[in-house]
Amino acid sequence: MNLYDLIFYLFAAVTLLSAAVVVSSKNIIYSAFSLVLTFFGVAGLYILLGADFIGVVQILVYVGGIMILLLFGVMLTNKITSVDIRTGTVNVLPSAIAIGVFMGLVTSIMIWTKWVSLPTETPLTTTNELGKLLITEYVLIFELLAILLLVALIGAASIARRDKE
Amino acid sequence: MYEFLTNLIGNEVLAWIIIAALPLFVVILPYALVAIWLERKVSAHMQDRLGPMITGWHGWLQSFADVLKLLQKEDLVPAEADKKLFNIAPALVFTASYAAFAVIPFSSGFIGSGAEIGIFFILAVSSFAVAGILMGGWASNNKYSLIGAMRAVAQIISYEIPTALVVLSMVMITGTLSLEKISAMQTGYFWNWFIFGGPEWGLTKFLLIPFMLVGFLILYMSTLAEVNRTPFDIPEAESELVGGYHTEYSGMKFAMFFLAEYANMFAVSAIVSIIFFGGYQSPVGYLGDLFGVSWLIPFEQLFWFVAKGLFFVFVQMWLRWTLPRLRVDQLMNLCWKYLIPYSIANLIIIGLISLI
Amino acid sequence: MSGLKQYFKDSWEGIWTVLVGMKITFKHLFVPNVTIQYPSVRVPMPERVRNRLYVNMDDCIGCDQCSRACPVSCISIDTVKSLPSEDLGVTSNGKKKALWVTKFDIDFAKCCYCQLCVFPCPTECIYMTDVYEFSEYERGKLLYNFSTLTPEQAAEKKANLEKFNAEKEALKAAAAAEAAAKPKIEKPQDKTE
Ligand code: SF4
Ligand code: SF4
Repeated sequence: MNLYDLIFYLFAAVTLLSAAVVVSSKNIIYSAFSLVLTFFGVAGLYILLGADFIGVVQILVYVGGIMILLLFGVMLTNKITSVDIRTGTVNVLPSAIAIGVFMGLVTSIMIWTKWVSLPTETPLTTTNELGKLLITEYVLIFELLAILLLVALIGAASIARRDKE
Repeated sequence: MYEFLTNLIGNEVLAWIIIAALPLFVVILPYALVAIWLERKVSAHMQDRLGPMITGWHGWLQSFADVLKLLQKEDLVPAEADKKLFNIAPALVFTASYAAFAVIPFSSGFIGSGAEIGIFFILAVSSFAVAGILMGGWASNNKYSLIGAMRAVAQIISYEIPTALVVLSMVMITGTLSLEKISAMQTGYFWNWFIFGGPEWGLTKFLLIPFMLVGFLILYMSTLAEVNRTPFDIPEAESELVGGYHTEYSGMKFAMFFLAEYANMFAVSAIVSIIFFGGYQSPVGYLGDLFGVSWLIPFEQLFWFVAKGLFFVFVQMWLRWTLPRLRVDQLMNLCWKYLIPYSIANLIIIGLISLI
Repeated sequence: MSGLKQYFKDSWEGIWTVLVGMKITFKHLFVPNVTIQYPSVRVPMPERVRNRLYVNMDDCIGCDQCSRACPVSCISIDTVKSLPSEDLGVTSNGKKKALWVTKFDIDFAKCCYCQLCVFPCPTECIYMTDVYEFSEYERGKLLYNFSTLTPEQAAEKKANLEKFNAEKEALKAAAAAEAAAKPKIEKPQDKTE
């Protein structure tokens, strides 16, 4: 077992364990914070796969942005107004069936796909290639996303404005 | 460095661990002790006082005494606090500021991880500090802590935008995210630094200088805000929030927050010096080149890097003892109405110039 | 347009004023310190400072005036009359001492350093000194005993007086008995004591 295997198992364990805490914890704050760890583990796995840019973006966007927003929401509703929000478990049977089917699907895909294993080499950085692809081949999607974000930004600003009146 | 250690120890895992632990023991801890002492001396002399004078020559051992004191202190956990999160938070905050050191090139001989993603990685891991601060503030179950944490988060997230925009404009010029490559580019004399328009001679160099200056100011201000230093220290505003998000912490846990703050100060100073002031490059050439002893060069580079970093840390302290604290609305005003528009304009102009 | 002009002016002013402030603090970096290193260097006290009290017991006549003047009752004095045979000497301003001061305690935990006790003293033996560092770890240690007599001596003086009084009582009783037998004789004799 070399170093990369070790790190892979470490990140995998972090991801799985924290994900288990996310779904099983009764305290929603714990769930939220373990989600941070889950994203961290996934980012680590991305980086191990050679997708360094995606990994860092994962941290920047999910941990830095979305998780913080989520935590803000949870915290402001949880302790301050002292309404105890706790997650419960409902609809065990249907979800178990759905998860079983989904797991089966994924496993079968994993088994039946003919995986091509590339010779291992030190992965080069993906940043340059990603940048080039984004403004050549996928420029339309890129621009659409930009417009979407702009619309969201304007919408948020207008909502905030209206509240003030 | 890594190869050297691997050969020495014969085990690559162990070598990596040593490499990873090195910045902590060689750089952060001694630096923090010196910086804390420096802060007290700078603040004292700026107020016509003397500061600590008893422990050692001009009190230079004061920080050691403080560390000993903090080690002895009782480790209090408030009864109503969320114990688990309360204990994790300082470690998380410290880890985040420590992780930033992984990609900082201290000298050409000691780079840590020369990751291509460099500066972007630093921007990303600083968000863990945000999570840690929020965790600590919330887990303390104290209104001051929570308000402090909320303010810290709002502030750090807002000021990440101008930081990222300035970094982006620099990335456009250099064409790389790697801090190592950015430092290596500015080799030679000080007029090759990016604050003086970068290493390439020509019209662009002189056109760039004013915009580099603007970029430097914006980056310095916004990173100052990201590490919660005065005048942007509303998250820990002593006069209104007791101590902000670390109000409830004592002993070594408080020390970790403290250490993280000082480590962060150095990290952002290092980033500013790498991007605009040549990083580990000497402004005037190397003694090693002069005498033909090449092994001296990395050490000289380390010296220059630490000197530049400490200089910007000193400027941070200088600002702290000069300016009063901003109000929350002024803080957001500065960020959204001044820094962000300027940095966007700067980004566009630098982009246009680099097209010439 | 003027809005934009104002905007740039504000930005410039912001940076400029910060630089001005930094210049001032930088200058102060080289201003010699105005503070002193307290435990090793001390500010000389002005002449009439009011700090810890001192009582010169050689001069105290035990008149209790200081104790009565004190607004917080922190001085407590006990006195025992001296016997006619004892000579306590005179104070430095010529008053004859007639009382043994068996107890003279000042509780500096209570004292508010108002100096009111100093003025009434007829012999000027209680006065303020410039000692201001007398903090203690225990509050009880702030109770200062100024009396020069040891408890044994105090007890002895008391016993002497009691004995003397008892003897006098006995004499008196005898005299009274005599007087009862032979009234209206030798009345002024009692007064001399
Ligand atoms: S200084 Fe004032 S308070 Fe103190 S003993 Fe004299 S009269 Fe009492
Ligand atoms: S007023 Fe002076 S003489 Fe009288 S008891 Fe007090 S200290 Fe003694």
